[in-house]
Amino acid sequence: MTPMPADTKPRTLSQRLSNTWKRAVANKEKYVLILPGIVWYAIFAYIPIFGLSLAFKKYVAKLGLFGSPWIGLYNFNNVFADPAFFASILTTIKINVGRLLFVFPIPILFALMINELRLGRFKKILQSIYTFPNFLSWVIVASIMISILGQRGLVNSLRGELFGAEPVAFLGKPNYFLPVVYLTDIWKTAGWSAIIYMASISGIDVEQYEAAEIDGSTRLQRIWYITLPSIKSTIMVMFILAVGRLMSDGFDQIFNLSNSATIKVAETLDMYIYRITFKGRVDFAFSSAVALFRSTINMLLLVVADRVSKAVGGSGLLG
Amino acid sequence: MKRIVSLILAALLVLTVFCGALAEEKEYDRVTITYTCPQVVAGYDYNAPNGDGYSNWILDKFNIDFQGTNVSWNDWNSQLITWIYAQDMTDVAIYNYTDGTATEATNIVNQGLLYRLPDDWKERWPNVAKVYDVTSLGPMLDDLYGGTYFIPRARFFYNLPGDPLANHWCLWMRSDWIEAVGKEVKNIYTIPEVLEIAKLIKEQDPGEIGAALAPISMTKDNSASFFLRANSTYWDSFYKDADGVYQWGAASPETLQGLKYWYQAYSEGLLDQEFYLLDYEKDMEKFQTLGTAGISYLGGQTADSENYRILFEQRTGLPQSDFLMATLLGDDGNYHQRDLINFWGAVCFKPDIEPEVFERWMDLMEFTASEEGYPGTQMGVKGVDWDFGEDGKIVSLVEPGTLLAGAVGEAKYPSLGHVLGSVILWDDLAMDNPNIAENYREESKALYQTRYDNSTPETFVKVDWNLWMNDSEELLRANGIDYPTEFANMVTTATSEEDLENIYNEWLESQMSIVQPALDVLNG
Repeated sequence: MTPMPADTKPRTLSQRLSNTWKRAVANKEKYVLILPGIVWYAIFAYIPIFGLSLAFKKYVAKLGLFGSPWIGLYNFNNVFADPAFFASILTTIKINVGRLLFVFPIPILFALMINELRLGRFKKILQSIYTFPNFLSWVIVASIMISILGQRGLVNSLRGELFGAEPVAFLGKPNYFLPVVYLTDIWKTAGWSAIIYMASISGIDVEQYEAAEIDGSTRLQRIWYITLPSIKSTIMVMFILAVGRLMSDGFDQIFNLSNSATIKVAETLDMYIYRITFKGRVDFAFSSAVALFRSTINMLLLVVADRVSKAVGGSGLLG
Repeated sequence: MKRIVSLILAALLVLTVFCGALAEEKEYDRVTITYTCPQVVAGYDYNAPNGDGYSNWILDKFNIDFQGTNVSWNDWNSQLITWIYAQDMTDVAIYNYTDGTATEATNIVNQGLLYRLPDDWKERWPNVAKVYDVTSLGPMLDDLYGGTYFIPRARFFYNLPGDPLANHWCLWMRSDWIEAVGKEVKNIYTIPEVLEIAKLIKEQDPGEIGAALAPISMTKDNSASFFLRANSTYWDSFYKDADGVYQWGAASPETLQGLKYWYQAYSEGLLDQEFYLLDYEKDMEKFQTLGTAGISYLGGQTADSENYRILFEQRTGLPQSDFLMATLLGDDGNYHQRDLINFWGAVCFKPDIEPEVFERWMDLMEFTASEEGYPGTQMGVKGVDWDFGEDGKIVSLVEPGTLLAGAVGEAKYPSLGHVLGSVILWDDLAMDNPNIAENYREESKALYQTRYDNSTPETFVKVDWNLWMNDSEELLRANGIDYPTEFANMVTTATSEEDLENIYNEWLESQMSIVQPALDVLNG
């Protein structure tokens, strides 16, 4: 952006607006570039916020969102009376904290390892292979998993052929559900998520590595003392964003990988909202109350993670 | 004088015939009608020149451009209800009206989201009105809503098997395997008998299937229906006990007994070990197409009983006689069921439907409900595939074994799926349909009869309209419990029968915050 000269600092509101407009005109290409993003956020992120008012209303479709009568906290009373709601909160936290522990670090490791490859072509091929699964939908991944992990799937067939072992219901036992979730998540998303770290690594000054090499550092030392500290702020931002999604991550994946045998360990808050909104009874006001609760918790988590990050000396996301 | 009278009479006769012809040949302007139902064949264009002989003929007769939308059986009502609430439904839709969705239907009507039929509709479309009256539900809904919003489609009109109405669902069994393991082939079984046969099939593998053998193959929903409903009439509902107090059927000892059978079948490897992964009709595929399943629990409607056998023969290479259909009884020797009620799916219209579109669809339904039009919904084009004989009975004009209704590429008329205006469904005409082999029609009638012969008013019960018509929010919430999923989860996670009982009791307790308010409303 074109900087404002110090002596022309606006004093009144109209002057400030006028100067803002002048700056916008001067940087019009940049504003045009960000316009689609702003429009997207307005339509899909900000306008739907009005829908959350449904949490305090009895939804009457004919009257619409704004005409439906207010009923105070009635929907929340019903939400808190449903034992499945609390169970879904615990399940969500359990699954997503596990994601932070087991899935979140993997793209960083990928990025570090790929960065250490010396052959450029091999590096690109590997990167493409790791990135490709990201473009498969979870429906496809779930079908692949049935072929691989089903009782008559690849893994059980191999176990039977090689060791004479009895088939194991990998997709039907609650104990296996979380490992399947984490492994498929890593397989599908780690390559793609590594891109952002690789971009960050590419911005590190090469001279630092050269100097360290002259000083006789090992590869691991260079990773530990140069690469990781250099991408620390990126890691922190990604971590804060991940914490902010703690209550709402991975609906597509859970929906496609779960079944009635594993539902008790798989019904996350989003799955619960889906069930009460589209299965059995249709109650948009009730599900809005749950969604509002979820969004509030997500926001609190985001703020807490941001503050903690700053408190421990890292960078933050908010102001 | 006589001549003048004769001339006047002749003139009147000519005039009457002319007017009649005019009425019959009513000219219609072209209208486009959008329609939603899971019976719509996905991706099939019903309109000329792409449709088949029947759809082209009937759509041309009523000058309709038909735009059908298929919804999956699994998400039928949830999708439709979402569209209704979004005020984005098609002109015509079939609502899956059941005791579980009745409360939602009332909610939708109360919000003015469906078209209210004109008060004189019964006079204007008398054939539809006659069908409406035999559905039982129709007149009840008139009382409830103070007008007509749904037109339930009758399962039976001329051939009602009895009151209450029995469901056609039955056991599909491999009779050759039953004989091979030394058990008796019958038309009635109980769950312990079925489990014993399944155990022998698993041990002896009479079909030499190997690892792919599933002695019993059922989806989650069909398993619930098979193991629980056979003994527990109200396993997924509420009921009034002998003292007139409403109770929760899921908490009855009979439900627990059914659950134990389900667990036994699963833990002993008799039931498909991945039944929870089977999508809709995948159990049917294992029995009918792959021939790897010995026992299933599926539809036994008269209209399809022969087709099921023909496809079984074509796909497995086995004789039709190896495919047995049988009735399932409870341990007490009685058939358990709640009145099916003589309807399946109810026609409804969008609230702002164009009068011309509404009237055209009603005219189409009026025709298919008439004696003239009703046979065509199953037998194709009059004069080509069927006709009336001199005695007034329906005569088939097609070669025996011709597949009239069925899949695209296999059947002559894929559109014959009761999509194009039918208000009388499969089994009614099927009982008299000369295209269906007589032995299968007789078998089907006998299966219905076994249910009436082996039941009491307490086990095969009439509909409780008080429960059906209750539109309280408490009941709506309680009806949201997904019983098949909950019970399937208990069966797959339990480590022993004792553990199963503990899990079941814990679950019952956990659900009381939802169930008790509903019971309070019902008993209030």
